[in-house]
Order: sequence, then structure tokens, then C-alpha cells
Amino acid sequence: MNTRSLKFQLIAWYAGLLTVCFAALGVVTYFVLQNSLVGSLRENQLRRARQVAQLLGERLQQGTAAQVGEEIEARYAPALNGRLVRITRSDGAVLYLSSPPRDQTFDPAILPPPIWSGSQTETARQTPLLGSRKMLLTAHALQMPSGERYLIETGAPMDEVEADLRNWLVFLLAMLPLVAAITLGGGYLLVKRALISVDRITLSAERISSHNLSERLPVARTGDELERLSIALNRMIERLDAAFQQSRRFVADASHELRTPMTVLRGELENIVQQPELTPEWRDRLGSALEEVDRLAHIVEGLFAISRLDAGEAAAEWMPVDLAQLATSTADQMCLLAEDKNIGVTCTGVMGVWVEGDQARLKQVVVNLLDNAIKYTAPGGAVSMRVMAQNDHAVLEVEDNGIGIPSEARASVFDRFFRVDKARSRERGGAGLGLSIVKSICTAHHGRVEVKSAPGQGSLFRVELPLAPPASDPQRPTHHEHRPSQLS
Amino acid sequence: MRTLIVEDEQKVADFVARGLRAERFDVDVANDGLVGWEMASGNHYDLIILDLMLPGMNGTELLRRLRQQGGTVPVLVLTARDSVDDKVEHFEAGADDYLTKPFAFAELLMRVKALLRRPPTTRSQVLRVADLEVDRLAQQVKRAGKPIELTSKEYALLEYMVAHVGQVLSRTMIVEHVWGKSFENLTNIVDVYVRHLRTKVDDAFPTKLIRTVRGAGYSVGDAREP
Repeated sequence: MNTRSLKFQLIAWYAGLLTVCFAALGVVTYFVLQNSLVGSLRENQLRRARQVAQLLGERLQQGTAAQVGEEIEARYAPALNGRLVRITRSDGAVLYLSSPPRDQTFDPAILPPPIWSGSQTETARQTPLLGSRKMLLTAHALQMPSGERYLIETGAPMDEVEADLRNWLVFLLAMLPLVAAITLGGGYLLVKRALISVDRITLSAERISSHNLSERLPVARTGDELERLSIALNRMIERLDAAFQQSRRFVADASHELRTPMTVLRGELENIVQQPELTPEWRDRLGSALEEVDRLAHIVEGLFAISRLDAGEAAAEWMPVDLAQLATSTADQMCLLAEDKNIGVTCTGVMGVWVEGDQARLKQVVVNLLDNAIKYTAPGGAVSMRVMAQNDHAVLEVEDNGIGIPSEARASVFDRFFRVDKARSRERGGAGLGLSIVKSICTAHHGRVEVKSAPGQGSLFRVELPLAPPASDPQRPTHHEHRPSQLS
Repeated sequence: MRTLIVEDEQKVADFVARGLRAERFDVDVANDGLVGWEMASGNHYDLIILDLMLPGMNGTELLRRLRQQGGTVPVLVLTARDSVDDKVEHFEAGADDYLTKPFAFAELLMRVKALLRRPPTTRSQVLRVADLEVDRLAQQVKRAGKPIELTSKEYALLEYMVAHVGQVLSRTMIVEHVWGKSFENLTNIVDVYVRHLRTKVDDAFPTKLIRTVRGAGYSVGDAREP
């Protein structure tokens, strides 16, 4: 899981905050509940203590205080109810102590002694029982007109209160993962819903490359960040488009402007070479200069072709081309070039791999790839070319077992003027434009070219072009001829 | 042969004029579209070499007017542009041929000759250079009476060179003629084929017919030119 993704962060924060809120709410309710339960138990006990105190007060005045114990038993039955009642006089004498409750939850005899608080009439305290249990002890002080003071204590174990609180806590703890799960799920759905528009923008932006910069992203008129994002992206594409056009125009203009001086240079040199009084040495030197003019012309030609292709050369000349037929016939024409280096060229292809395109340009792809393969394969090596239809793509593969391309250079082989080994390629007469022309042609035909290579083992160039839609072209055979051809 | 060159680049006009004059052409030069138009419409020329980017009146317009007037003079267009649209435009406007800058003078000369000689007079069935015979109908080659086996590309190359005997053919011209425009960046193929051709045609004989002209290309001929 990508923990740095916006999706993850949003969901995590959302679910985390909601869960924390829930937990805080749980803690607050727990304490409120505790307060309320303990408070009501205390009130109950105090009321009982007041009642007992009133009874005791009446009986003391009537002089029948001795029977007060029996009366308490009869009225309140503390032992039966699991409660404690204790009456202590200020001199320490215990006038009444309820018997142990039936369930033996506590022993009244070993409870801590009463606490005389002086001024306060009513007090409450908690005192520990066996185990971790507690008892709530409330006390009511009775001041007789005679000056005698009595402390009426009532007590109740807090078991029920604690059980209720425990239940609540269990409930809260049980709910916590559920709440977390619900917020995670809800958060996921919400974030997904919010990010779906971003995804849509991403997909549209993905489709825009240097070759369709005239396209724009759809702008959702929502007036929010997403609209601003798509508008900002569109503006950026516009600026990119302008920059690309400018650079293409520059290359086209430059190569155009270079043609006239080159024409003059070549014409003048050729003219001088024609002079009969020239010594062979001078003739040779001028010849060398002419060769360089030739090379210059090739470079300019290549640059011009690339800039035209990249600018989206008119597709008006396009027609259905059988890539397999084209590849086979081109390989046929070039076989001598391979033979010269004792390289075997195998060409395998089932005829009838139709693509839509400019025949001359597509042929250039085959020529440049084969030339490249032959150029960088040692004498005695092998070059194989395959043409096939895969899914809705026509595939052309040119494989050699030559010197290969180092991995760090592989990404750049389609760049203009890029050469893997500068010294060696120049000696072989390359200007470093062949593969970039191949790439430009492929892109102009809505296809692509890629390379796989292992240094010392060879390279594989793979061209993918969209198959032509099944058109009703009279020249196109209706049946597919299976004829793998062999050339060497 | 009276030829008009309409080209605003003085240096290009100069060397083309010089080259053509050396070939005994009678050459006039106009450096401006309007002047060119006046000269072309007021005189009789056998050939017009026309640049497209001209001050005054552009080449395409000049050509259109010329054809509208009913002029049938062959026109060779020189262009610094090279795209399908342009080519179509030139031919629609009435150009007979076009040449993309930078061009080899030999190529210009060959095209000029082709335009003037149309229909070609060299369509004889058997071409001969010294003791080399090329039979175009049977596509057979013999030297000193002995048949030489050639592949179809080797034959096409030899026939092209023999048909232009004595002329220097640039690699670009050979590639475009024998292999087609897609091979234009592959001029080394010419060297390989010429080498093969030499082993078959020249190696066994004391007189070498195929010559390399450094910086220019190849030519076929039995006379040793300077």
C-alpha cells in the first residue's frame, strides 16, 4: 500500500479523526455515566440514612431507642437487600449494626470505623472491600437537643455500578473497531468519488504527447479546484504546444536556410573539380570537401524530414500498405549489403499485414532498421526480421546478434544525433539521425518503436503500428497468403 | 539551347549559368520574379530553370501565368522545400521536373538534358561502352563477347550508368534511380553494389570502365577524363 498517496492520507486522517472522536465521546460518556450512577447510589443511601436518622431521633425522644434496631430490620431489611446500616454514638458505642448480607458480599463487623466530620451533616466515601470491590459509605450526623451526637451510616457495595460501567466500557471497546471499519469504508468511497475526476483528468493528460499537443483536456464546469486544475493544465499544454511548434519551425527554417549556401558550396566545388589544370592532390582534397558537403546535406535532409514528421506531415498520401510485403522486398534489395559482410538476413512474415500509411516512409523504417542492424553486427553474424499481426497491431521486429547497446544508452538511441560510440559510428558514416527518423515515422503513423538489447549479444528493435481497418481496397487480397519467405 | 535561369540567389545563378555555358548553353539570368516573367514572356526559350522563392513575383505564380498564356517551354523548378504538398503544387502549376536544393550540378545537367531531349533518343536496345554490351531487352550483359551474370539490382545499376556514359552520377542520383527515395540515407549501398559490379565487369580486364570520382560519385566510360 502506498502510504504517501493522497488517497491513503485522506482515508487515514478521516478514519483516524472519526475514531478518535468516537473514543473521546466514549471516555466522556463513561465518566458521565459513572458520575451519574455513583451519584444516584449516594442519593439513595443518604435518603435511607436520613430516614433512619429521623426514626432514631423520634425513638430517642420517646425513650424507646432500644427497639430501633428491630424497627430498622422490619422496615428496611438491610441484610436482605445487601445493604449496611450502622448507628454509632459520639462516644463510640455502636447502637445498631446490620447483619451480614445473605450473599456474604461483605462483613459489617470489619468495616473501617466511622469518621466524625464535625461540621458536615452528610458525607460519603468509598471504602475497599475484599478483592478489588468497593463499598459506598454514606453518613448522616444526628444532633440531639441533649447534645448527644449520632452518626447513621448506610452502605451499599458498588458492584452493580461497576458492572454497568464495565458493560458500557465493553460496548464502547466493541464498537471501536466497527466504527473504525465503517469510517474506513465510508472514507474510501468518499475519497474515491472525489478523486475519480482527478483520475479522469490524469487519463486525458496521459493521452497527450508531443504529437497531439493541439488536443485539450475536458474542463468540468464545477467551479472548484478540479476545474482550476484542468484549466491550468490546458494552459500548460498550450505553452508546451507553442514551444514545440517554435522548435520545429526553427529546425525546419534552419534546414531550409542551410540549403541555399550548401547548393552554392557544392556547385562551386564541383565547378573547380572540373578544371583540367588541377593536380590530383587538389582534386582529392576538393573531393573530400565535397564528401563533407554531401554529409551536411544528408543531415539537413534528415532534420527536415524529422521536423516535418513531428509537425504531423499530411496523411493525404496514406494508403494501405502490406508491411510484410514491404519488409520482404526491402530486405531483398538490401541483401547485398549484408552479404558484403557475410551476414545472413532471415525474413519471416505472413503476407497480408496491412497498415495505413505512407509507403515511402514505412520503407524508410525497414531500411534504417536493417541498415543499423547490419552496420552494428560483426561479419559472419545474423540479422532476422519478423513481421506479424498481434492483436490489433502490426509488428515489425529486426533482431541482430551484433555489438548491442549498453543499458545506459538504450533510452537515448532514438534521440537526434545520439551515437553510442561516437568515434566508431562516425567512421561508419552515420549522422545519428537514422533511428530518430524511424521513431518520428512510427509516431506519425500512430505507432511506436522500442528496443531491447544486451551488450555483446545483440539488439531487438520492435515497431508496432495500428493494423489498417478492414477496408474494401480492390488491391487487397481477400485471402491471406501463407508464405514465409527466406532470404540470406 | 537558350535557357533562362530565374533565381534570386546570385551565387546559385552564377554557378548554374557557368556550368551550363560550359555545356554550350546560351544562358540568361533574372534575379527577380517580375524581371523573370518579362523575359520569359517576351522571348523564346528552350528551357526555364525556376527558383520558387523569388522577390517581385514568386515562382509558382510565374509558372501559372506562363502556362495560362499557353507557353509550353519545359520548366525545371528548384526548391529549397521538400514535401509532398510542394511537389503536387509544382506539377499542378505546370512544372516538368523539380530539383531539391542542395543538388549536384551533374544531376541538374542530366535533368536539363532529359527535359530537352524528351522523348529520349538513347532508347536503343543495345548500349555499348568499349567492349561492354548491355542488351536492354534481354537484360543481358556481355564484355568482350563473354556473358556476365548479374543480379537484377546490379543490372539496373549498370544499365543506369552505361545509359549515362561519360557523366558523373552522384550516389544520391544512383540510389534514387535504382532503389528509390526511401534509400536516400543509405548511399553506402551504392558503394557495395559498385564494388560487386567491378569484380564482375572490370576485374578480369585491363581497361577499367567504372570510375570513382571522389566527392561526386561514379561514372562509366572508357576515356580517361581529367
